[in-house]
Amino acid sequence: MPRSLDDRETDMIKLYDFELSATCYTVRLMLSLLRIAFERIELDVYPGREHESPWFLAISPSGELPVMNDGGGVLTGVPAILEHLTGAYDPSGRWNPRDEPGVRHGIAQWLAVAGQLNATAGAARLHDTMFQAADIEACRAGAHRSFRALDEHLWFAEQSGHDWLCAAGHPTIADIACFPPVMLSEEGGISRLPYPAIRRWTDRVKRIPHFTPMSGIFNAAPLAAAPTSGRRTSA
Amino acid sequence: MAAGYTPDLVERWFAVARTEEVVPRHVVQAQLLDQEIALWRDDAGAVNAWENRCPHRGVRLSIGLNTGTELRCQYHGWRYATGSGQCTYIPAHPTQKPAATMRVARFGITEAHGFVWVSLGTPAGPPQGPATGCEHATTLRSIYTEASAATIAACLLRGYRFALDPLGADESSPDAVVVAEDAYTLRAKSSHAGEREAAVTFFLQPMGASQTVIHGLLTTHGVAADRLAVLRHHHRQMTALRDAAESR
Repeated sequence: MPRSLDDRETDMIKLYDFELSATCYTVRLMLSLLRIAFERIELDVYPGREHESPWFLAISPSGELPVMNDGGGVLTGVPAILEHLTGAYDPSGRWNPRDEPGVRHGIAQWLAVAGQLNATAGAARLHDTMFQAADIEACRAGAHRSFRALDEHLWFAEQSGHDWLCAAGHPTIADIACFPPVMLSEEGGISRLPYPAIRRWTDRVKRIPHFTPMSGIFNAAPLAAAPTSGRRTSA
Repeated sequence: MAAGYTPDLVERWFAVARTEEVVPRHVVQAQLLDQEIALWRDDAGAVNAWENRCPHRGVRLSIGLNTGTELRCQYHGWRYATGSGQCTYIPAHPTQKPAATMRVARFGITEAHGFVWVSLGTPAGPPQGPATGCEHATTLRSIYTEASAATIAACLLRGYRFALDPLGADESSPDAVVVAEDAYTLRAKSSHAGEREAAVTFFLQPMGASQTVIHGLLTTHGVAADRLAVLRHHHRQMTALRDAAESR
């Protein structure tokens, strides 16, 4: 339904959203982890193609989702939105540390990887579930190449005592950006069976406090209150 | 399940995962001889290898919840006890005791030499180990390969390289002799002067006709000063092996 940028008088963050979009879910997940209330403006992307309607193109000329309006500033796409949310609403400074150059560069790199994952695994999923045009074989092959690299990175990270994509000792927006297209990959015909380190990492992401799922993503079993074997929870 | 596979493949152990990767409250998704397996460890430390299929509606148990004492199917919440695989609770009928016939199919499972081993049959003895005289053993990263075990074995028999080259100058020239103990167990023994009796034993896990997992067990007399460098060296060798096998 058509809305304008000044439709509401509320101060609440507005998120232009499509429930089944992996990139929109990325933003909804970050909002949940930061415990930020927001107003969801839901578009009928499929099958209604509402993201191509004139009222939305006036807000987002590329028709791209997710789009966020926070106090009049319009942000498009995952990297810009995650940068903004962590800059404005993360007092801990842990989700996107600005003082550690190594971590900052790592985050930039992984945000780019998340874009690749959405363009391969994500595109395969949209092709298989919403009939979006794609070179499906190239998408799946590209996804497997990325998953192989991701699994190797996570395995060696575990060997060094790290549970997350960046060696920061806690999750960052790198993990949040990469998680959705990875977690939804089977809807595009990409099995995660050959990627056991990825599968352990997705469990860890699901256990982050205030994690929220979406259709097709299920919660992980909680860890025991006190370890019975003394074994670390990651390999 | 294991249809079309000869008894010698069914009645033996195959390594399917490194022990330290079957972590608490997690379900590993594995595949052996075209059989998908849900592999999980209970809170007491015991491991289970179950058919990856809920007896109710066939949903994969590998997306289910490992509560520490049971697997809970994601679909309707049916619960299956560790060990027996017996259904213990059906949320839609909370006061009824589930029928004894509602049980997940289970496979033989054991742990040895740093790996979890599964058999689709009932082997007589334990899995064969590295059989080297070395005190120290390190499991290497398992490499998932789009190739048959036979192709991988043929590539491996061409040689393997132990020596870490600090300058990275000649990582490709083999310096170790490789022998096959059987079609799925091969051993590379170092002939490098400083690596007395060091060996890597490769355990091949046939996922299916053209998919194999290459597991590696490095045995040495001393502990390496830079453990990560050693892991990365063998990882480079094993991914080169994978690339060679996949391009055949």
